[in-house]
Amino acid sequence: MGEEAPGREIPIRLRVNGRNVEERIPTDTLLVDFLRTRLGLTGTKESCSVGVCGACTVLLDGRPVSSCLMLAVLAGNHDVWTVEGLTGRREEADPSGTLRRFADVQHAFLEQEGLQCGICTPGVIVSAYALLQKTPRPTNEQITNWMAGNLCRCTGYRSILRSIRAAAGLSPIGEPVEEDAGHGAEAGRPAEGKPRRSGAPGGSDAAV
Amino acid sequence: MQPFEYAAPERLNDALERLASAAGETIVLGGGTAAVLLMKQDLIAPDTVIDLGRIPELQGIDAGPGGGLRIGGTCRLAELEESAAVRAAYPVIAQTAHRIGNVRVRSVATVGGNLVHADPAQDLPPVLMALGATATCVSRSGARRLALDEFFVGFMETAIRRDEILTEVEVPPLPPGLRATYVKFTPRSEDDYGTVNVACALVVEDGACRSATLVLGGVGATPQRIRSAEAHLTGHPLSEARIAEAARLAADEIEPWDDLRGSAGYKRAMARVWTARALLGLA
Repeated sequence: MGEEAPGREIPIRLRVNGRNVEERIPTDTLLVDFLRTRLGLTGTKESCSVGVCGACTVLLDGRPVSSCLMLAVLAGNHDVWTVEGLTGRREEADPSGTLRRFADVQHAFLEQEGLQCGICTPGVIVSAYALLQKTPRPTNEQITNWMAGNLCRCTGYRSILRSIRAAAGLSPIGEPVEEDAGHGAEAGRPAEGKPRRSGAPGGSDAAV
Repeated sequence: MQPFEYAAPERLNDALERLASAAGETIVLGGGTAAVLLMKQDLIAPDTVIDLGRIPELQGIDAGPGGGLRIGGTCRLAELEESAAVRAAYPVIAQTAHRIGNVRVRSVATVGGNLVHADPAQDLPPVLMALGATATCVSRSGARRLALDEFFVGFMETAIRRDEILTEVEVPPLPPGLRATYVKFTPRSEDDYGTVNVACALVVEDGACRSATLVLGGVGATPQRIRSAEAHLTGHPLSEARIAEAARLAADEIEPWDDLRGSAGYKRAMARVWTARALLGLA
């Protein structure tokens, strides 16, 4: 951080892992640094620093965000959850029994060996948890699309897919995932459409 | 990065006031995903950052005047992706939003920020342009509504003025029979910008093309309408030969350059392939 001019250090107030936090910070502080160095929440990792790898994933108002690309001041007045907080979180009432507890996700990753070196894992399981809150029984396509932003250089992703399916209470394998889904794909087909061959001409069903 | 003055006004007028009076370099922030990257690399070093995130007038998606769609400047890409109204009436917009970056970017990045950033390889601009969308830029002295082909003027450069804020994007109601698609060729990785992006919107009646809008992205300084190809398609049945010729015209008209997503020649060849695929998909 550069030298601090007056007015360039300001108070912020936010909720982190369910508790109110108030700190004075230089305005250029990134959320990941705020969490790790101010609050000591080092479960959130910084790896690529450009929002691509997902190691720094935290939840902001329930949505996954890259804390390495977010100015801490922008998180002011918002609700942030990190891997530490989610681990100990008391889940809200879930009468339908469909929402997955964070511990379910963690256990599924252990049982299905969804990690090797572990550096990406906090981001991966925070991201997977957010997916399962939104989509309790995701298809493989929904899982791969959602998790495409979390890079893992060890597992080759198969065990991550298995882990998320297991956490969702699904059979570990499920329907096949296309190897190159997404590359050269069209945005012009309905979301519920059948998986399509990559690069195939399409979009005839995209009438708007 | 270096610290800056930070303002988070709660009304548009206050933001415009602050923007007009701020000394030095000032940037206006939607979600900040693009701007923070530039700041981290010291490509920009603003003295003042104005955060638009707390201004209710700039948020949300609703029916625009005349039955179209009004998208607030700070509408998040995830809202665009998930909105039932957008999915029903403008599925190509929702599906395109779904393919931008990754889920974390879409949680945060805004439609206004996306347009103002104006990287020529972005996904949303060609689609919005093909559907005839406009961007409204507001300053203390008034509002200007710009068609997107006037809005994008150069590489990461738009017609927005220093004292203006992009408040909303309007998409007109779509004519009956309109078919639209967006295709993106990403040979490197799923979450990358496309090597070539193609958006097209056609009105087809009895097998003949009544009107055509074709926009290519990632192959020049701005997303580019290919008027020669549009003219070639309009008024004719969408035969394979006609589509092939339109694709050739598109590949001729663009001015791509070499970069890490491909050489100029490769992009030109792929523009031809992907334009033909997009059009065949609508025929």
